[in-house]
Amino acid sequence: MLRAALSLLALPLAGAAEEPTQKPESPGEPPPGLELFRWQWHEVEAPYLVALWILVASLAKIVFHLSRKVTSLVPESCLLILLGLVLGGIVLAVAKKAEYQLEPGTFFLFLLPPIVLDSGYFMPSRLFFDNLGAILTYAVVGTLWNAFTTGAALWGLQQAGLVAPRVQAGLLDFLLFGSLISAVDPVAVLAVFEEVHVNETLFIIVFGESLLNDAVTVVLYKVCNSFVEMGSANVQATDYLKGVASLFVVSLGGAAVGLVFAFLLALTTRFTKRVRIIEPLLVFLLAYAAYLTAEMASLSAILAVTMCGLGCKKYVEANISHKSRTTVKYTMKTLASCAETVIFMLLGISAVDSSKWAWDSGLVLGTLIFILFFRALGVVLQTWVLNQFRLVPLDKIDQVVMSYGGLRGAVAFALVILLDRTKVPAKDYFVATTIVVVFFTVIVQGLTIKPLVKWLKVKRSEHHKPTLNQELHEHTFDHILAAVEDVVGHHGYHYWRDRWEQFDKKYLSQLLMRRSAYRIRDQIWDVYYRLNIRDAISFVDQGGHVLSSTGLTLPSMPSRNSVAETSVTNLLRESGSGACLDLQVIDTVRSGRDREDAVMHHLLCGGLYKPRRRYKASCSRHFISEDAQERQDKEVFQQNMKRRLESFKSTKHNICFTKSKPRPRKTGRRKDGVANAEATNGKHRGLGFQDTAAVILTVESEEEEEESDSSETEKEDDEGIIFVARATSEVLQEGKVSGSLEVCPSPRIIPPSPTCAEKELPWKSGQGDLAVYVSSETTKIVPVDMQTGWNQSISSLESLASPPCNQAPILTCLPPHPRGTEEPQVPLHLPSDPRSSFAFPPSLAKAGRSRSESSADLPQQQELQPLMGHKDHTHLSPGTATSHWCIQFNRGSRL
Amino acid sequence: MGAAHSASEEVRELEGKTGFSSDQIEQLHRRFKQLSGDQPTIRNLRKGPSGLADEINFEDFLTIMSYFRPIDTTMDEEQVELSRKEKLRFLFHMYDSDSDGRITLEEYRNVVEELLSGNPHIEKESARSIADGAMMEAASVCMGQMIWQGIDIETKMHVRFLNMETMALCH
Repeated sequence: MLRAALSLLALPLAGAAEEPTQKPESPGEPPPGLELFRWQWHEVEAPYLVALWILVASLAKIVFHLSRKVTSLVPESCLLILLGLVLGGIVLAVAKKAEYQLEPGTFFLFLLPPIVLDSGYFMPSRLFFDNLGAILTYAVVGTLWNAFTTGAALWGLQQAGLVAPRVQAGLLDFLLFGSLISAVDPVAVLAVFEEVHVNETLFIIVFGESLLNDAVTVVLYKVCNSFVEMGSANVQATDYLKGVASLFVVSLGGAAVGLVFAFLLALTTRFTKRVRIIEPLLVFLLAYAAYLTAEMASLSAILAVTMCGLGCKKYVEANISHKSRTTVKYTMKTLASCAETVIFMLLGISAVDSSKWAWDSGLVLGTLIFILFFRALGVVLQTWVLNQFRLVPLDKIDQVVMSYGGLRGAVAFALVILLDRTKVPAKDYFVATTIVVVFFTVIVQGLTIKPLVKWLKVKRSEHHKPTLNQELHEHTFDHILAAVEDVVGHHGYHYWRDRWEQFDKKYLSQLLMRRSAYRIRDQIWDVYYRLNIRDAISFVDQGGHVLSSTGLTLPSMPSRNSVAETSVTNLLRESGSGACLDLQVIDTVRSGRDREDAVMHHLLCGGLYKPRRRYKASCSRHFISEDAQERQDKEVFQQNMKRRLESFKSTKHNICFTKSKPRPRKTGRRKDGVANAEATNGKHRGLGFQDTAAVILTVESEEEEEESDSSETEKEDDEGIIFVARATSEVLQEGKVSGSLEVCPSPRIIPPSPTCAEKELPWKSGQGDLAVYVSSETTKIVPVDMQTGWNQSISSLESLASPPCNQAPILTCLPPHPRGTEEPQVPLHLPSDPRSSFAFPPSLAKAGRSRSESSADLPQQQELQPLMGHKDHTHLSPGTATSHWCIQFNRGSRL
Repeated sequence: MGAAHSASEEVRELEGKTGFSSDQIEQLHRRFKQLSGDQPTIRNLRKGPSGLADEINFEDFLTIMSYFRPIDTTMDEEQVELSRKEKLRFLFHMYDSDSDGRITLEEYRNVVEELLSGNPHIEKESARSIADGAMMEAASVCMGQMIWQGIDIETKMHVRFLNMETMALCH
């Protein structure tokens, strides 16, 4: 049905394409004076057709992707080839002759470069160089092996009489054919492997091979071609030598051309500060120039562009503006995907033209079997050799995928079309065979490789965002490894890598990077910066909801979410202060609104700074001057620090509320006490003002969540929940008491604000330069088994009786409660707790402001503290914990 | 040292302990001698803040180096896991400068600062904030679990470590 729709879509097009071509043929009559309407198809024909084809290809792509099911089973390349076949059939039927085929010239000059540039530019260079040895081996040795064995085997087949005698070809012809059919095709590999998601090492090896073997293919093809043209009798020994030499010339020359252009490109972008707008253009122009130059010098153009992309990326990315970077990325991807689509479609169309090819079953079958067999054999042999040297050997499954992933594609087809029929009499047979091989590899192998990968349980690539830690550890690792190699006195890969980086840092980067870029140029910093920007953007996009996800998705109040979300800013404006909110709170003691307001308070606390920020960002994005932009970036950056802290906090909070926040792959080792205490904490809040239904809900969610964890965790969490349930009545009372006692209304909001309390809190203990409060957070950290320490600390607290810090103790008391330790004290503390918590918002706001005023490290420090706090508290023995607490409380009271 | 060199049992013992082949031990020993100036121990290592030996003998040297051995294909799952753990522990100790079993923020900051020290334009502050961010990230992953936090993280990453760049070492 899908296809029918497509062909319907294509019909008028084919008709339109066909009609006008005949029109200009018959301009017999004299021109009838002034024309009111002139049909000038002829003048626009060529570009029009190109545009139409691309349009058709893109529409086809859209249609394919309408159905997720189809695309998940069938690779897009297969669908496109099939579509091409259908379209080709229609064109053939309508025009009576084959049109719009894949012309080698078009293919090599226009369609291939974008794909190669895209893959070179976005090649994970680290991975590529790490596996360079393997890639080169497969690309050079593997391709040579494939070409010669396939060619020779086909020749043997012919000698054995299995190929019809009408295929007139000698050994050289077969070698020529072998050389063009043996190369793994980057376009096909990319198209299929991108959907398969095998692990990155495997991918880079197959894909890198397909890119780098171009040089070998080109050389082999050219050498064989000229040998065939010269006639085998005239080939001299020196020609063979020249052939071998040309391998080096073509490959190294191509790479050199690429690197030269990469250098030029990097250098040029260094000086585009005032003409940012042409930055993307430069990237494309110079890369294309590299391709054409290499092609002109008959060097390996693919290699040139790959190297150009690989080489320039680092510097270009550092030099060009952020917007240019995005532009480059998208344009490149668009062009590549366009070219790829058109290639596959044209490939299908070209196959329809029966005038071009002649069928010979023996040759076709023989070729198919040989390329599969020799590819597999070659991979096994090379891998065996490579594994002697590789530290991480490639296992059997990898080898299967590698041999099976050797797809042939449009390059082979274009090369075979380029053959000269007068010199290669068997060209038609070769064309037919190539078409079959390409179709077989792309369709059959493309279709089956996914199930195969699944069935073999090939390690897939996990998609995860880059993390700071990963980057840091990788760097540390590089250093360690380089150092160890040095100690051992073995100058291996890591040593040279290190040397290269030194060199790059000292000279190249300095030469090729803008000074401003160079100064802050550091990978770690980069990742950090990017992560922060990303967070900030997502934060701004969500209008400050990140924080809200904690509170707003409370299970018991789903209906009000939207209201709360949308009205945050309004509320902020309307009420201006916490007082209004508080009045409402008082009106509706212990209703759902309490909670909502609490949530709101959270939001406001966390987001006080945000509405302004957001407004500013959206407004200034386009008009703001560069300086302001930078300042804004900085601001985003700093703001982000805060946000991170909050999201970090809210993650913890979420444990008991929602699953919306990803609880990052937890290792079962997590201290349950944390979650437990948190759960109790959260529940305490919920329970205090809410009916028990909420409890049940949360419990459920908790359990669901915990399912993934170890059973131990589950149990403990359950326990925590039970605590809470029992504590309910007391909490409720607390709520009442505090509610009635309240003079200053705002405190009510606070109880739910561990988030804000958390922010400031006790982590200070180390540095002590900031306000120190004892927050619920602290308590959370103490694992269940440390409850004794807890109680002690609480009693010490009582003895101190410092009002401002009481709130936390109350919260913290709750968990121990059921165990019957400290019940009486709880109410006592209540009256005072408001004050301590009340202090938070202002201080918070202050922190936010100071942050915006470029005192960067203050907030950072602040944020940091929690970490330290955690660490310390988690591992404190009860005794130390007590003393610790005392200190904190003192501090708090001083404040 | 002469004893280690001559007595083949000793070599065998070292083999068993560290997993190096006798050839490798031989080679490492040569290197060791070169580094130590023909002394039984290497001295004058920069003295660490605490708990660091200021000299190591050949066996220590070998033990350290053995952390960098690639994973053997013949090892079974358990052994692989074990050697991973060992490697991680070793790494962990590289971060954990006061060897109290946990990587504190301070220690982590130091590591980051050193990492960034190559670039004079990056101030200490940024290094700190990076370390802070990383720590926060770590914390959000590990839910406040800090003692083994470093290890946890590296276990996570470590597949990539071991896959990609597993310890190149001499042969």
